[in-house]
Amino acid sequence: MKNIYISMFALVSLLFAGCADDYLDVNQTESVSTDDIELYNNNAGAETFVTAIYNKFLDWDTTSFGWIGLASITSDDADKGSSPGDAGTDKDILDALTYNASNPSCRDIFKAYYAGINRCNQALNIIPQLDKADAGLRSRLMGEATFMRAFMYFTLVKIYGGVPIVDHLPNPSSLEDKNMLLTRKPVTEVYAFIENDLNTAIAALPLKSAYSADEKARVSKGSAYALLAKVNLYQKNWQKVVDNCNLVTGYSLVPDYATMFRLEGENGPESIFEINGVGSVPAKGIRQYSQVQAPKGTGGWGWGFNTPSQSLLNAYEPGDVRKDATIIFRGTTLYDGKLVPNTVQNERYNYKAYSSNYSGADDSDANVIFIRYAEVLLMKAEALNELGQTSDAISLLNQIRNRAKLPNTTFSSQDDIRKAIWRERRVELAFEFDRFFDLVRTGQAKTAFAADGKVFTEGKNELFPIPEAFLNEAKGLSSQNPGY
Amino acid sequence: MKNFIFSFLALLLLPTYMMGQAQAIKGKVVDSNGMGIPGAIIASADARATADADFDGNFTINAKPGDILKVSMLGFDAVSVPATAAPMTITLKEAGDTALKEVVVIGYGTRKKVDNTTAISSIKAEEITKTKVLNASQAIQGKAAGVQVISSDLPGSTPSVVIRGLGTALGGRNPLYIVDGMQTENINNINSNDITSYEVLKDASALAIYGTRAANGVIIITTKKGKGDKVSVEIESFAGIREPLKKVKMAGSNKFAYYTNSALQTTTFSQDQPVNTDWFDAITRTGSYTQNNISVSGASENIKYFFSLGNYEEKAVLNGLDYGRTTFRNNNEYKISKKLTLNQNFSFTSTNSTPKPLSAFTTAYKQSPIVPVRFANGQYGVSRVGENGFANTTGSSFNNVGNPVAQLDLYNEQQKSVTLQGGLKLDYEILPSLKFTSQFNGEYYTWKQYNFEDSENIWLAANPDKTAADFDQRVVNEKIPYNLLTKGREEYFNWNLSNYLTFNKVFNQIHDVELTAGIETSVRGPRQKLTIVRKNANTDSNYWSLKDVDYVANITSYKDEVFNETKLASYFGRFQYKLKDRYLLTGTIRRDGSSNFAKDYRWGTFPAFGAGWIINKESFMADVKTINLLKLRGGWGKLGNQNVPLNRQGYSSGLNSYLGGSILYEGTTITSQIDPSLSWEVTEESSLGLDFELLDNRLKGTFDLYNKKTDNVILNVQPYIASGITTASPAHVGEVSNKGYEISLRWDDKITDDLSYWIGGNFSHNKNELTGIKDIILSPIQGGSLGNGETTKFLDNSSVGQPLGSFFLYQYAGFDSENGKMLYYKADGTKATQDALGTADKKYVGSILPKSNYGVTLGLNYKNFDFSVDGYGTSGAKVYNGKKGQRFGGENIEDSVATDFWTINNPTASNPGAFNSTPVASTYYLESGDFFRINNITLGYKLPLDEKSFISYCRLYVNAINPFITQKFSGFSPELNADGDPYKLQGVELDAYPTLRSFVVGANLKF
Repeated sequence: MKNIYISMFALVSLLFAGCADDYLDVNQTESVSTDDIELYNNNAGAETFVTAIYNKFLDWDTTSFGWIGLASITSDDADKGSSPGDAGTDKDILDALTYNASNPSCRDIFKAYYAGINRCNQALNIIPQLDKADAGLRSRLMGEATFMRAFMYFTLVKIYGGVPIVDHLPNPSSLEDKNMLLTRKPVTEVYAFIENDLNTAIAALPLKSAYSADEKARVSKGSAYALLAKVNLYQKNWQKVVDNCNLVTGYSLVPDYATMFRLEGENGPESIFEINGVGSVPAKGIRQYSQVQAPKGTGGWGWGFNTPSQSLLNAYEPGDVRKDATIIFRGTTLYDGKLVPNTVQNERYNYKAYSSNYSGADDSDANVIFIRYAEVLLMKAEALNELGQTSDAISLLNQIRNRAKLPNTTFSSQDDIRKAIWRERRVELAFEFDRFFDLVRTGQAKTAFAADGKVFTEGKNELFPIPEAFLNEAKGLSSQNPGY
Repeated sequence: MKNFIFSFLALLLLPTYMMGQAQAIKGKVVDSNGMGIPGAIIASADARATADADFDGNFTINAKPGDILKVSMLGFDAVSVPATAAPMTITLKEAGDTALKEVVVIGYGTRKKVDNTTAISSIKAEEITKTKVLNASQAIQGKAAGVQVISSDLPGSTPSVVIRGLGTALGGRNPLYIVDGMQTENINNINSNDITSYEVLKDASALAIYGTRAANGVIIITTKKGKGDKVSVEIESFAGIREPLKKVKMAGSNKFAYYTNSALQTTTFSQDQPVNTDWFDAITRTGSYTQNNISVSGASENIKYFFSLGNYEEKAVLNGLDYGRTTFRNNNEYKISKKLTLNQNFSFTSTNSTPKPLSAFTTAYKQSPIVPVRFANGQYGVSRVGENGFANTTGSSFNNVGNPVAQLDLYNEQQKSVTLQGGLKLDYEILPSLKFTSQFNGEYYTWKQYNFEDSENIWLAANPDKTAADFDQRVVNEKIPYNLLTKGREEYFNWNLSNYLTFNKVFNQIHDVELTAGIETSVRGPRQKLTIVRKNANTDSNYWSLKDVDYVANITSYKDEVFNETKLASYFGRFQYKLKDRYLLTGTIRRDGSSNFAKDYRWGTFPAFGAGWIINKESFMADVKTINLLKLRGGWGKLGNQNVPLNRQGYSSGLNSYLGGSILYEGTTITSQIDPSLSWEVTEESSLGLDFELLDNRLKGTFDLYNKKTDNVILNVQPYIASGITTASPAHVGEVSNKGYEISLRWDDKITDDLSYWIGGNFSHNKNELTGIKDIILSPIQGGSLGNGETTKFLDNSSVGQPLGSFFLYQYAGFDSENGKMLYYKADGTKATQDALGTADKKYVGSILPKSNYGVTLGLNYKNFDFSVDGYGTSGAKVYNGKKGQRFGGENIEDSVATDFWTINNPTASNPGAFNSTPVASTYYLESGDFFRINNITLGYKLPLDEKSFISYCRLYVNAINPFITQKFSGFSPELNADGDPYKLQGVELDAYPTLRSFVVGANLKF
């Protein structure tokens, strides 16, 4: 008996010691373990990692309230709007250009874009491992993720100047990766990184026409060329602007400007990179995008922020159809028959954010168009003009004017045309999140803001402050932008 | 060794034995409880023979009837009896030297208390059942130094037990409970009447044998076994009433009207109100509770048995809240052979309760007394005020507080649970000095719940001017889901298996060695939880679950969760050595592997050692008669806490997007980052203790000092922003220190045979501090939310140097005598109103953790009467008066505020001017948590019965639980456990159940 027990004990101990380690491997049941990558090893699985990147643009911080404040209310096109007492967290401060390093919108957008870059890097890391997915599909998805990363860095460099370049998933225990995350890189390096990504994307992406109707919002080769042209434009590489604009093919101007910003015109022939919202169930829109910009007060249906400024109103030439397509005037009836009563709080609202079907809902079908063909023509015109080919520039400019039911430009000198193109950009692209950066890029900011009654401090306001939260982490590895 | 010596002796005596006409005398040596005394020595000078009692106390000695047998055993008084031919039963009385006979459970074994080198508080069965509460841990409050119990009188709630200070912020804080070998986290299923001993292992050298689960301390509970040779039936029954120990006097309706008018600077409210509702009275009743237990136990030669059945029923003070628990236990011991013993235990517990929302207490506190419980039309009162300044059904709403009576009436929830625990333990004596033990324990828990929302009546309660037809119209118009029925189900199965060997031998009479070595596995099976919510449920609960009906179209939420399983594999060993009965040495080691952690970080080793010196046994102390025991002990060890946040990385899904058409594409990414090196928190503790007994054992005392440090506390770290990782990840970044001392003293004396008394007390002091945080940025914890946008507690990098659970508040600076507005100190020392404040003006202003807690006990036995009083107190903790501070506007105020607040005519009032807005969380609402409470007064009378009569014992008693308290706190109770989380509402009185005072009468009977 005794021997039996001793041997049993010894046996159990041995067994236990032998397989204890395997014994302790427990399957994860609360969430899908990242070890189980095999679950995604197919076409649909591979696509999900890129969909998550598009999804990031639907976030509140990425494309909604903070972004509207930072990229639109700051500009001379827009005022804070809403009621005087409603600051919208920090929209009054953004409007007045008096933000500092602890500004919530500056911080949240920084965070949101890096969260987006993480999704790009996750996709770029995972998709190559999904060997059971179609090779062509994987290559295209890699192209989409690379484009998105470039787009996000372009936004960051416009807002903050040099930023840390995170080109791979950081290992939490690597000192090198820690430095990567905390060190701002010079602007030129960021631009070089963006261009490199775009060239990679161009090689991998198909033409827009290759996508099915349900995937028209995916980025294509044209998106990458157009973005590359814009990146070139910001660096004044005029010839490259022209070359890349020439490679944006298969697009055309939509005859009726206003329809582009309605459900009927979404992802149309002019659209190059557009964020797509859907209000019908299951709804997936840009979080409260329409709501925060919709008319506020009695008879209104939203928060009333980001209202068109008098300065913008003044910029429209008589007869410009774009004015009534961009601005909701109170006391008028909208294209769908909806009345905006005189009882709403602000005189003007952003028409491009209006959703007819889901006007006050959290999720609406309003889209945000980041790049469209009209801008490609304007970029090309500007570059040609800078290269001395002013007459070619004029004809491009006139294409844009004519579509807006305006006559040909009366200007002809290189300098006048430059200014005419800048003015045209303003009214053509109003409320498309370009104006503030365009003013900085073209050096018009101080004058333009003065005309809008705001003070733009040169040497400071060209860039937004680096968030304090980031500098606290960086502890000397990175420094603040001048003036903050 | 003993055996060896006696064998040797036997050999010497062999010739004599062979000459005599001896025969075998058989018998059994038992203690006063009838338990066999193994190892008792039986010697006969006449027969020149000796024998040892075996494992069960049985012996055989070669002697003649009539020979005098001297029976002795360490810890018992020796007796001499004449041998008889019939089997003898020799009862030994325990020696008066109590320290020698007391045994403590030390984990995988027992040890005589005097030989123990570690800090263990033992609480006896009678102490646990004396205070009539549901959970044994609540009953031990104030009875063990260094053990802080924060309890709530909410039926079925689990008290927090903090042993020697809190060493973790995010990890599990509860001690490990070992119930008859079953490792568990909750003892709500254990009937206190079934407990025979409750031992709290406090220091590292005691705890290290439990390795990675020991850092919060271990409580070992042993349940009863059968004893004696006849069937014993015991009955205990009691019944009691319960009421809140303390109430807050709120303003009456005219004072409310005056205050609120003053705040609004209007005359909205009439100052001659027709209604004066006491909302607290409206939601409470006199609680009542009863408990009945019956146990049957006994023993025969080969079987010891114990059966018990218990039932507890409580009608709580909160209207509609009922709780019931039924327990059944069966513990058996089978002696299969001389060397093989099997212990089997089984317990069944079912609970049944109708929970009610505790927020009703806050609602009752805040609702205005001008609102009637019900309006004249029979509908529930709401806070609407009409033109005449009285509450009515159609006036304008003046606060956002609901009707607490309606809230309770319309809250329809039921919960039921069943817990099964059982175990088998096999002891096999391989050699007299070597024992093998194999033990298996399992625990199965199942829980079910329903919660029904009667949408129509809930809506009508809030809208007394509306009718059922209006509701029907609303259902049609707004397409809202109504009549939501939630059903929840949960279950798990946990088990553990341990096998160990114990070797015990005395060498050369002076070297007493005990070795224990074993292996163990513990599995916490996956917890499964199913929660289904469906709409349009029938208002009649009989028709919620119809046969053959498919409810798929009505399901609004369907959650089916299986939580991660955890497993533990362990090796352990202990060495205990005693030299010359006075020098003690213990070494312990445990190696644990936990499935909670990554492969390379899952194994940890937890060593400990302890040493003791029984000074009074030294020759130089031989003449010091006043000292009966003087023992110095000390130890060091490492302990783990594996119950920490897991950092398993998962895919984040649901990141869907439309990409241009009508297809919603699925999105997935990874938004978390894991530190693969995450493992348990390690606590290192050094301790020193002194035990003494003086003056004929009448004065007993213990003094302990400890220094505990947890230098890898897990906190959530904010990943670098540029990593794009949005989920904070747990990492070993904090350092927490607990330093303290404990004193207990007790004086017992017997004046005459009829009169004895005792007086005792304990005091413990602990300094808790977050001593450091590594060079990272913490993801801040903003805790203790008041539900009005204000938080009261904070933990981030700035918390270093503060105790855990610290309040972080604005500093109240009095009010402006010009306008009565509350003022606060800004960081620069100036005073400002609340709209000028920023986070930089907040300060750490003390913690919910007390610095000291203490208990006192005194008692008297006179003839058949017994009387005892126990008290408990804490000091140094802060509490936040959350229900007072959770204002939005238009709520009722305390009577003390309503009668003395600032007005232009009363600029020196003790309270600021009337206000009708949300105040910031400030020290204005922070109060001292110090209190001293009499926990229990018992008076019992034992009927003078003949032990041989049918009823052999009958004691009647009356019991007052929490009859008195002195507290500084102006709210209901300074003892605020909430869910036990120091960063949630622990220490904040908001939605809190009040402490109760109970009066109980009961009886104990034995047959």
